[in-house]
Amino acid sequence: MNNPLLELKEISYKNKNNFTLNKVSLRIKSGEKIALLGKSGAGKTTLISILNGTLRPNKGSVKLFNTEFDKLNLYQKSKISTIWQDLRLIEDLSAEQNVNCGLLGKRSFLYAFKNLLNISSFKKAHQYMQVCNLKKSIFSKNISKISGGQKQRVAIARSLIQESDILLADEPFNNLDPKLASNIKNLLLITKNKNKIKVPRTTLISLHRLDLLDGFNRIIGMKNGEILFDLEKTKLKKFHLNKIY
Amino acid sequence: MNKLKLNPSSITFLPILVCIPLAYELFINFHIGGIELFKEFIISAINPKINNEIIFTLVKRLNETIFIAFSSWLISITFGVIFGILSSEIFYKILNLPIFLKRFLNLFLTFIRSIHEIIWGLILMQIYGINFSIGIIAICIPYVAINAKVFSEQIENINLKTIESIKEINGIKSSTLITLLWSPVIETFKNFGLYRLECAIRSTAVLGLFGVGGIGRSIFLSFQTLNFRELWTYLWGLAFLIIISKELLKKINLSKTSRKFLTSFVIALFCISLFSLSFFVYFIFNKNAMPFNSINNLLILNFNFISYEFLKLVLETIVLCLLSTGIAISFPPIFILILNNKIGITITRIISFLFRLIPPPVLILILLMFNDPSISLAAITLGLHNAAITSKLLLANLHNQDNKQYIAMKSLGVAKRSSWLFGLFIKQANSYLAYCAYRSDIIIRETAILGVIGSVGLGWQLQESLSSFAWEEVMVILFVYSSIAIIGELINGKIKSNLT
Repeated sequence: MNNPLLELKEISYKNKNNFTLNKVSLRIKSGEKIALLGKSGAGKTTLISILNGTLRPNKGSVKLFNTEFDKLNLYQKSKISTIWQDLRLIEDLSAEQNVNCGLLGKRSFLYAFKNLLNISSFKKAHQYMQVCNLKKSIFSKNISKISGGQKQRVAIARSLIQESDILLADEPFNNLDPKLASNIKNLLLITKNKNKIKVPRTTLISLHRLDLLDGFNRIIGMKNGEILFDLEKTKLKKFHLNKIY
Repeated sequence: MNKLKLNPSSITFLPILVCIPLAYELFINFHIGGIELFKEFIISAINPKINNEIIFTLVKRLNETIFIAFSSWLISITFGVIFGILSSEIFYKILNLPIFLKRFLNLFLTFIRSIHEIIWGLILMQIYGINFSIGIIAICIPYVAINAKVFSEQIENINLKTIESIKEINGIKSSTLITLLWSPVIETFKNFGLYRLECAIRSTAVLGLFGVGGIGRSIFLSFQTLNFRELWTYLWGLAFLIIISKELLKKINLSKTSRKFLTSFVIALFCISLFSLSFFVYFIFNKNAMPFNSINNLLILNFNFISYEFLKLVLETIVLCLLSTGIAISFPPIFILILNNKIGITITRIISFLFRLIPPPVLILILLMFNDPSISLAAITLGLHNAAITSKLLLANLHNQDNKQYIAMKSLGVAKRSSWLFGLFIKQANSYLAYCAYRSDIIIRETAILGVIGSVGLGWQLQESLSSFAWEEVMVILFVYSSIAIIGELINGKIKSNLT
């Protein structure tokens, strides 16, 4: 199928008099595993925020399933999930309640209410939390009482439980040790897994650590709000990286 | 010479300067006419009257107080949450509703909040006569708006990024809204809502002085007959009720709350809102309201009666408020600084408890035993009552604070008072001043209580106009009162935002 899943056309985004994105175009097809590289301030977070609809571009168009983003219904929009760099968990809720929040897009108001009262089922949340290497002892702990690495995995579990088609992740391995980072990366990139959980077929992950590039099939390099290169993983050379770092 | 530089600590102590004009006026108005009565009042504190009859009356009055205070607390918290959500920006952002609705609601809430429950009580009593419902409704009106403001402020503090992340999950709007609002609402209920019960008990006692039932009625009658032993029985009864209610509420540990409790709490909130709405509608339309001929009376503002004397009363109200605020800010830190040892702190706690316990109208009547009526007397009454409240908060915060810096300074040989000032208080000064700014909003409203009992300010004129059913004048006074309170609130809001 040639139709892209997600398409950006000539996107520009201006923030406080500076262009943080300048005429960016991008087509993401189903099944692609994309790594987004670039220094801090290159525009990676802004690009991800535009892709998931959190930010509206000043110029250009964003299309998901060939439909303008503004015309999508809630169900269509829920096909995208995001892991934020700053996690954005709800501090006063427990880890399992936070993970259950990922199901808000598919459940009723009553479910949201029961989750807050702590009387909803946590079976599915626990399954995803275990897959993300979270121990049972922290399931019911308040978010403010767990470590940075554990919070990171809670945020990952919350986005995975959405069972979306596209996963956008903004530096999701920051707080994890090398072994755990590698395991979680494999979990996010390998669709068929022994854990029998559904993982998004299409992923776009922004990265700082080049040792985690294995498993991606497309690499995009950004600098000063522009895409400097967009190529297959096998074609990536050192001079490409020199351009952006 | 270096320029004088003010910081939060020095700003806390500076208002003590209000004592210079106050001391002068109190000194020239001093008399010893009621000194014997005052002695009797003090001695009666440790020798209250106890017999079967008085215990029976005390229990009956306490029951009435509990009923009025608890009902008004429950209703005002429930509607406080509802209006707090409706007056927060997040609600309109998530549901994509026009923001002007929020502005209308905020304007309405600001108006009803700016008028003290005593004034609402007096107005309702003039319209509907004396009964229990008046007490509940009079407390609920401003309390709903005050609670709504606090809940809405806490809701507005939700991190914008958290809102984005939950919105991005693309759940239905009501699910997104409840998920975002739940934690701030529950936290505010724990930190602020439970404390409001104590406030409701105090307000019920003060309303009782003006005719609504409860312990306040007995306090007032025993004071009128100068039966101080009986008066202290009722005051200690009130103290007992406040302490018991506080201890009981402390036992409710919401962080370890069972699912059953939370579920029943939410169901209770729902039932209360339905019941109180239907009761309110029934009350408005079914009670005898003979002196209140038509709703039109409340829509006419007659500014013709504004004279030089009226403007003088307005000025008196503002001066009274400034003087009282000065006392409320500066007295607690100075007192704690001077009496900076265990015994001194215990004495400060006892004195502040007594000044919180004795309702301001009774306090001013006691002070009138050896002083002529004046703005200074009213200011010292209101100031001491509020200083007792600010000192409670300051002592609690100082107690909970990490005292490493204080110990380090003391170990370096710095004097105890200097160590307290620079090692402990300096860290609290900002938040203490911010709380005092909030407290001064309340002081503005409380000036009405002293005015109404015939002391100073606009409250006196309000009582006169109410007694003669001059509704057009009443509406002008309410308008002026409300304007002073709103301007004060805006100024205090600026101060608070600069401090925090």
